[in-house]
Amino acid sequence: MGYEPKLVCFSCKFGWGYLRDLDGPKEASVFLIPVECSGKLDAIHLLKVFKEGADGVLILACEEGHCHFQEGNFRALKMLYLLEEVLWAHGIQKERVRIAFSLDPEGRGIPDRIVQMKNSLAALGPLDRALL
Amino acid sequence: MGEKPKIAICWLGACGGCDEAVVDLNEGLLEVAEAVSIELWPVAMDFKYDHLRNFGKNELAVGLVSGHVRNSEHEEVAHLLRERCRIIIGLGTCACFGGTPAMANLISREEILDTVYVKAPSVVNPLGKLPQPETEWEGETLVLPEFMDHVYALNQVISVDYFIPGCPPPPELIKNGIRAVLTDDLPPKGSTLAPRKALCETCARNKTKPIRLEIHGPIRRIHEVEADPEICFLAEGILCMGPATRTGCGETCIKTNIPCRGCFGPTPGITDPGSRFISSLAALLKVGTTGDPEAVMASIGDPVGYLYRFTHPVSTLGERCLRKATEETP
Repeated sequence: MGYEPKLVCFSCKFGWGYLRDLDGPKEASVFLIPVECSGKLDAIHLLKVFKEGADGVLILACEEGHCHFQEGNFRALKMLYLLEEVLWAHGIQKERVRIAFSLDPEGRGIPDRIVQMKNSLAALGPLDRALL
Repeated sequence: MGEKPKIAICWLGACGGCDEAVVDLNEGLLEVAEAVSIELWPVAMDFKYDHLRNFGKNELAVGLVSGHVRNSEHEEVAHLLRERCRIIIGLGTCACFGGTPAMANLISREEILDTVYVKAPSVVNPLGKLPQPETEWEGETLVLPEFMDHVYALNQVISVDYFIPGCPPPPELIKNGIRAVLTDDLPPKGSTLAPRKALCETCARNKTKPIRLEIHGPIRRIHEVEADPEICFLAEGILCMGPATRTGCGETCIKTNIPCRGCFGPTPGITDPGSRFISSLAALLKVGTTGDPEAVMASIGDPVGYLYRFTHPVSTLGERCLRKATEETP
């Protein structure tokens, strides 16, 4: 059987709609988590996701200048830059976390983005958990 | 008058700084010696582990245990102490959270052994021999403790009743801890015998913090600047772990113009101080949407070493169940 990467997708409900209402991806390997704002994501959420067995994380944030809470999207980006170093030190490549800034209130683009992310995760292969 | 309560002060993987902190009780040590009988203290007095083995179950009132668990000897002694002491106090940052030596968790066991015993410039080891737990030599079996695959905090190996953090722990907290045990005035088990507030709340520089704390531009390290001895480090753009660290240390670093490095561990309720600090730092950094956040973040040299300097084994990614090096990785 082929390797099926486990992906967790956090999406801002203002910029990307309510993911649960989507007709989109229903695979068991994709976990969709709508959040109030991407800036509400704490570094510990991403660490826990990897600790619990995810292979990658996709964050869907609002476009620049369109954050409902002024600068939550930018805060998420700053948090990510620091977190990447922590993840890398534990053997988690930077490519395993991706953040996308766009406005897509009906979430039409989400299935495509998930497929893209899963493909790049599949190319990376399973996560080496020796240091986790 | 009844018999004096017996105590043990013991080190596992430790530098001896915690034992030094006990010595720093100065005259207070005489009071302690008056009230209790010190039955084991390998650093200061001539005791062997056999002394410990000869005690009955729960015969010792309290064991002050410093240091992390990295090899099978540490593990064995930790279990011996647990069995013979009614109360175990994890003394110092290594016992509470793993401490600085736990930065080695970011490197595999094999790599460490290879570097130390084969590749280091001063080592000549053409056969690539590594230390073995058992070696046959002239008809005898020589035994060495087994080097584990990970550095563990004490409470990941045995149950610990109370914690006194600090690198080293302030003598005042040690004295209060011993007094609390002797007078049976103890908080619920599992408590840390230190204040519950964050360091910022007791820091003298807190009043200089602007109403809206913001860090502009690159992060600076303490040796790169001449820091003002009065002003909040974060307001000056110098990283200080104060907001994510428990107070009780007496702000000794701050008083000598060194920012907090986080040896007292997280405030109550927080399991991963590093990630909390990342989140708060992300909020504090004002690089502006037109600025380059990556360049500012890159100005922090070794963020992992900074964020998890003392707490790696108890952090989200570093936490691991105890397993021997010879056991298979799950």
